[in-house]
Amino acid sequence: MRSKSLLVANREYVENLRTKMFWVGILFFPIILVLSIVVPRWLEGRKDVRRYAVLDRSGFLLERIEERSAMPDLEKVFREAVLRQIKGKESLAVFPASVQAVAAAIGQSLCEQAEGGTNDAALALMNQEDFRKGMRDFASLISGEPGSRMQQLLSNPLFKQAAAELEKFRAEIQQWWRSLPPKEAKEFGSDLSKSRYQRIDDGASGEITEETLNLKVADNDLFAYIVIPEDPIKGEQQFKYVSRNLTDEDLREWFARYANDELRERRLEQESIDRTTADWIQKPVDFEKKQVSKQGKEEEIAKEDIALKWAPVVCVYLLWIAVFSISQMLLTNTVEEKSNRILEVLLSSVSPLQLMSGKIIGIAWTGLTMVCSWVLSFVALVKFMPALMGKDLGVNLLQAASDPLLLTSFIVYFLLGYLFFAAFLVGIGSVCNTVKEAGNLMMPVSVLLMLPLFSMIPVGQDPNGTLAKFLSYIPPFTPFVMMNRAGGPPSLTEYVVTSILLIVTIVLVFWAAAKVFRIGILMTGKPPTPLEILRWIRAPIGQVPARKQE
Amino acid sequence: MDYSLTLDGVTKRFGAMVAVDHISMAIPRGTIYGFLGPNGAGKTTTIRMVMSIIYPDEGQIRILGEENAEAVKDQLGYLPEEKGLYKKMKAGEILAYFGRLKGMHGPAARTKAAELLERYGLGEWQDKRCEALSKGMGQKVQILATLIHDPELVILDEPFSGLDPVNVELMRDVILQMKRDGRTVIFSTHVMEQAEQICDAILLVNKGKKIIDGPLATVKAAGGRAVMLDYDGDGSVLRGLPGIARVNDSGKQAEISLLEGADPQEILGRLVGHLTIRRFDVREASLHEIFVKAVGGKADA
Repeated sequence: MRSKSLLVANREYVENLRTKMFWVGILFFPIILVLSIVVPRWLEGRKDVRRYAVLDRSGFLLERIEERSAMPDLEKVFREAVLRQIKGKESLAVFPASVQAVAAAIGQSLCEQAEGGTNDAALALMNQEDFRKGMRDFASLISGEPGSRMQQLLSNPLFKQAAAELEKFRAEIQQWWRSLPPKEAKEFGSDLSKSRYQRIDDGASGEITEETLNLKVADNDLFAYIVIPEDPIKGEQQFKYVSRNLTDEDLREWFARYANDELRERRLEQESIDRTTADWIQKPVDFEKKQVSKQGKEEEIAKEDIALKWAPVVCVYLLWIAVFSISQMLLTNTVEEKSNRILEVLLSSVSPLQLMSGKIIGIAWTGLTMVCSWVLSFVALVKFMPALMGKDLGVNLLQAASDPLLLTSFIVYFLLGYLFFAAFLVGIGSVCNTVKEAGNLMMPVSVLLMLPLFSMIPVGQDPNGTLAKFLSYIPPFTPFVMMNRAGGPPSLTEYVVTSILLIVTIVLVFWAAAKVFRIGILMTGKPPTPLEILRWIRAPIGQVPARKQE
Repeated sequence: MDYSLTLDGVTKRFGAMVAVDHISMAIPRGTIYGFLGPNGAGKTTTIRMVMSIIYPDEGQIRILGEENAEAVKDQLGYLPEEKGLYKKMKAGEILAYFGRLKGMHGPAARTKAAELLERYGLGEWQDKRCEALSKGMGQKVQILATLIHDPELVILDEPFSGLDPVNVELMRDVILQMKRDGRTVIFSTHVMEQAEQICDAILLVNKGKKIIDGPLATVKAAGGRAVMLDYDGDGSVLRGLPGIARVNDSGKQAEISLLEGADPQEILGRLVGHLTIRRFDVREASLHEIFVKAVGGKADA
């Protein structure tokens, strides 16, 4: 008796494995996941060089901005050179000899200072604040800021040697950096502003006017141009930014950042205000965010905790896609079988109930295979992605999402949600002769399925709120809403009570679906009205209530 | 006597419409039983009740000694009128699948499927998907699916409808072979000639009611005599003949039902000169005539 259902289920499963749709479903999630990580990075790397011009009417600001904006770049470039130096990579050779010499000096100091003198220890030192600060000083020295920085650098044991080397090569390095074309800058470090923004150097002479620049912007020869007013320190005149692109403000913001820094410094100087005093005055209120554990203890909030609060929302969405597409599969499958006229042949070997349960089980296996493959590929990705692509992918956020509660409830709620809707759809499928007819009857069920999507955000924000609790007890919504609340998480009692409620409903819906299936599956012609279906459900098994003649 | 199937006063109503009205029959083991009647006579409904796909409102059914076909499903072979195959499954697979659904073990079902396909000339199609089969080949596979598990009782609903001549022959051979193997075959049809050729016994139904039943020989003997005529010429002369009950004229061929005591020689004499006669054959009336007469007689009464 049971084995016949399993035979049906098995056939269903094997046949589904052969469909393209199944493999699309399997691959859908990992592909989306990988793309969502890779594409933004790739796009970032592919951004066109933005050509811009600056009309500097102040006569001093542009030069200072160039110096300032070069600092982070140089810091990155030297960091990269030192990394390659310590790791002994051949690609160090692309750097000019001057840079190599300085990087070698820094690398040597690092190795000397590192415990045991190992490379790993040296690399670890590079993440220390001491080194970072030294690197900043160092970069500003190259780009031309005078003053006390040299003193600070000489007192830093990691840079003592390098500072000496720098004295020798500074002019050479500056020269190299200035003449480096933006397209080639990429080779020397990732995410350099030099490779993003290229200033076209014709705003310096007086004869270039805003009119000619306007034409160039109109021709797309320039992405934008900026006009610096005569007295920016005074701050009464506006800067001007002209571009045809109204959405990409990166260039303006980037430029403004360095302009602000410089102007602030100049103003402080003019008013003889100490820089540290000024920093102190401007210091914003600083919050220390904490959360309280169940035991009432204060705890740190990690980025992961925030991710964990929102991961359920992503899960709900995926859950929804999975439940929807898999139960849809059941529907089309049933209708196809009916229009194939194979059902009656089957009914001579298996009872309608066996056939129905077999189909539902078979497609449940298909769905579980898909969902489990999603979970597995997710876990695998979290594990291996950092090794393949380097850290800093927000992978630690993904790691937080691979919480067992989340993953288990995802699979369990998929199964329960599927079973609930499967019963509906197999009933609908059995009374329809074409997929189109089925589509019409599907409407109310689709609407029912949609609701949890709308409540996704409010429930996510307040996972233990009244709305969330209320919806949890409505069986069709239980799987989605409970999944949604996993960040809460709900209490054990809630898990138990809602699950029992859901399972009881599933049993009832199955019972009704079985009665409809029995009758519907042999019916041809016009699909029944909902009222007729109700009569079928109430009729004793084996009886076919008469159709009302028109 | 040992019966494969008995029906006793079986009735099925769909609302006000009585689809099957107190049908009774008893089918001995090892016979070929024809279940005849025009479209809409209630044949399919009766067969579905026999298969326990739907249940009767009144009356009793016993099939292979059981009241419910569910209990003996694995010993039944059933070919519904509406039949199809899974398009994406391979011919061998689908046969084996049907075998397994009837309780066969996997390997046995696969071997038997391959053997059947080989025997009926579909050996090389075993690994082809059903959608690649021609209509005729698909029909063959469907027929084979009914008998892969060596059923005790085979029920075929309109087995000949839609078959090409080659498959009609195959179907007939399959039915005869099953009889030789001692199995019982019940088939429904609305084409009387087919039943006449192979049935041991028949049941004629119309509008849900039984018209005639019994062994074919008995039914035919009670049906009176008729002349089978092949001719060329103007057939209108046939209508004026004396001593005839009815003429079924197809233009080149006619069946003339004779009244009791009519003399075929006299009829022949009358026709000579009017028609070119190619065949003149006096014999028992055909089932078709018997049916028309029975239904017509009831209508008149």
